[in-house]
Parts: sequence; structure tokens; C-alpha cells
Amino acid sequence: MIDISLTVNGGRHELSVSPETTLLGLLRNQLGLTGAKLGCDVGDCGACTVIIDGRSVNACLMLAAQADGCSVLTIEGLATREQLHPIQQAFEVHASLQCGFCGPGIILSAKALLDGNPDPSRQDVREGLSGNLCRCTGYAKMIEAVLQAACVMRGETEDVDGKSKAGS
Amino acid sequence: MRAFDYLATVDLRQAVRLLDEHGTSARILAGGTDLLADLKSSSSSPGLIIDISRIKELKVIESTAHGLRIGAMVTHSEIMQSALIREHCPALADAARTIGAVQTRNLGTLGGNLVTAVPSMDSGATLLALDARVVLACGGGTREMPLTDFFMGPRKTVLRPGELLVEVVIPACNLGKPAHFLKTGLRKGQALALVNVAASLWLDAAGNIEEPRIALGAVAPSVIRAMAAERYLAGRSPQSGSMAEAGKIAAEECRPINDFRATAAYRRDLVAVLVKRALAQACERALKRQHERGAP
Repeated sequence: MIDISLTVNGGRHELSVSPETTLLGLLRNQLGLTGAKLGCDVGDCGACTVIIDGRSVNACLMLAAQADGCSVLTIEGLATREQLHPIQQAFEVHASLQCGFCGPGIILSAKALLDGNPDPSRQDVREGLSGNLCRCTGYAKMIEAVLQAACVMRGETEDVDGKSKAGS
Repeated sequence: MRAFDYLATVDLRQAVRLLDEHGTSARILAGGTDLLADLKSSSSSPGLIIDISRIKELKVIESTAHGLRIGAMVTHSEIMQSALIREHCPALADAARTIGAVQTRNLGTLGGNLVTAVPSMDSGATLLALDARVVLACGGGTREMPLTDFFMGPRKTVLRPGELLVEVVIPACNLGKPAHFLKTGLRKGQALALVNVAASLWLDAAGNIEEPRIALGAVAPSVIRAMAAERYLAGRSPQSGSMAEAGKIAAEECRPINDFRATAAYRRDLVAVLVKRALAQACERALKRQHERGAP
């Protein structure tokens, strides 16, 4: 077993893991964080996307031991108890998810994109989400939601319903 | 995954020592994007996994008198963002952008992409077109060779047991050499290349093509140079007709296969078109460069 320490959604964890445990296995089975999903298990579908030290990765393609000393953000750490994250709000308003299985991964890919590029073009959003598959194929409403969330996060609109701060 | 032992090291010498001790019963973990997928489908244990992703000296991108050194553990995202690479060999950043998706590029490394040596890799063509060299280390020291000599076939390289790819060097004389990378897949996102192509060239004082390089991916057992097309092009003026002819020659000399993604014939057609376009773009960059430097 390997002793590791990592921060998950702001909380410190000291854990013992077997070498062959993936980061996804650690999150889901040892920490009970089942937001990140096991989809293809080979890095094609993005359902297991989490953010590590600011970068989006497929948690199924990372050993838990590789995350030693890192800070991990999962979908469970995105909202506060009081309020959803603007990306989550936009997904709700735009009815962007159907079955929802891909949602946690898509939303975290969107978060990583907007953290690095607060004013993305539609094409930037498409590229930013290209590592995430939605088998309900509902991409159009997701792209709308991410563009809307970007406006909100830049402070250009008050909320995801699109009301302008200037009232116009 | 079958049980294995895992060791992470931040010391290159220790990594080489461990690899030397364990030989074929050890495997290197760089970004892990290929390795983990591989281990999950394998019925045997790799024995020991040596994680070298945190070795700082393998993450360096540095311009030296020798050339531009790119450490084997530099990720594709880091290549895309590197100011040095964007200045000296932007085609390499363009190629990195086409690899996998963001998540893969954040973990996957240049060294891993080269060592895995799949024929459709996207890192190889631009590096071949810039005459890149690779540095390999083992317990006994290091050796350096042209990247062309590193590949032996699909998933086969000259790496010996106990040997580690530590860096890629783009020779100083090729920094700033006008080059262009193009890739065609079945879709835009996360697609393996049906064909990828990189071309580089200089224009001499008379405006003729000098030292042309044409490299092709996914159309031979490993990434290759289209030497006959290069020989044809050397010394010619950069007319669209000669670039189209070079494309046709390259399509003749590559050895594509039929598979479920495309027929060999279609891949040859792609080679002809992409080589012509990549050469035209490289020429355009060369002319722009001459213009900026005030040459006639």
C-alpha cells in the first residue's frame, strides 16, 4: 500500500491506497464521491473528468498515487450549500442535461475552460468540451449554457436568465 | 488492473538506476494516458511501475547553443502554451493541439507519445521535419540520435531494456525554420490521424526551395520522411505546380494500410493534398519571414 495525502474539494485526506487504484476508484470507492462516473475507462468519454491543480484530467487514466500532494476538485465541490455554481445554474436553465451521466464531467470541463478563457468563442467551447461524450447527443444546449455562464461569470449579466445589469 | 509495485521518483539518476535494476520487469509511467489503458486490457502484471512524471529536469523547455531542448515529460498542453516553442517552432504547438482532447493533453507527454510509437502519433511528423534528435539515458551514460533512427515500427523503438528517453532537441539551425503541420481525421475532436503531414523549408537568396523536409504520419509502420519528394523539391522555385508534384511523389512513396478508418487509396489521396497544402503554408511563412527581414 502507498500512503498519500491530497486535498479533495478543500478537505485534506491522508489515505492508504493500493498501487493499482485509479484516482477515479479512490474518489468513488474510498471517498464516496460518485459524481465522477466510470464510463469507457480508457480516457475516451470524459465522464470521469475532475480538475487537478487547475487542469482537467480523466480520473480513470490516473493512478491515485499520482495525485499525492495534489488538489482535486470534483463536481461535489463546485456548488456551495446555498448556491449552485453559475455553470450549474446555466445547465439547469437551459435544460442542458438529459440522462445526466455525462454532466459532472462536462461541467468540470466547462469550468476548466472558463477559468483559463473567460470569454470563449462558440468554437472554443466546442473544443473545450470535445473530450466529453454525451450519448443523448444534447450538445447544443450545453454549449449555450457554457456561453451564458461565461457572461454571468464575467459579470455582464446578473443571472443565468439573461437579465442585464444595466437593465437593458 | 493486475497488481504491481509503484515507485515515484523526482531524481533522474534514481529513475535510470531503478530501470537498470529491473530491466524488462519495469515499465515507465510518464503521463499514463497510454500506459493505464494498456494495463487495464493486459492479463499480465508489469511488475514495477516507475513514475517519472515529477522529475523536474525532464520538464524543461530551454533554448541552448545546441538547440531547443524539450524534456520528455513536457505535456502536450505545456507545448501548446510554451512561449519558446511558439516562437521557434509554432508548427509543433499546432501539432500538440490536435492530440486527443484537453484531458489527454494535460497528462500526456511528448516523450510518452514518441516512445509509444504508434504510427498515427501527432508529435512525430513536425519533429522529423525539423530534424529533431532524441537523447536516451541508461546506467552506462547517454546516447543521442536523429529521431528518424529512433522508430523501428508500430510500437517499436530502438530503446533497450533499462533505457529511458530523456529529451528531444530541435537543432539550433532549424529554430525558426518555416514549417507547417496538417492532420485529417474522421472528425475534429479526439480523432486519430488518417494522415498527418509536416513540411519545412528555407528559401535561398534566389527564392528557390532549400532543405525541404516532408514527414508523414499514419501511412507507414512508423512516422517517415518522404525523401523522394524532398529530392524533387530541392532547388525548385516554390510554384504551386511543383508542390502538387511533390505531393504526388510523397503519395507514391508512402505505404498506407487499409483499415476500418480508411482505405490505403484514400490515405494516398490525402497525402498528396496535405503535402501540397503544408508546403504552400510553409512557403508562405518563409516569404513572410523574408519580407519581415527586409530581404528582396
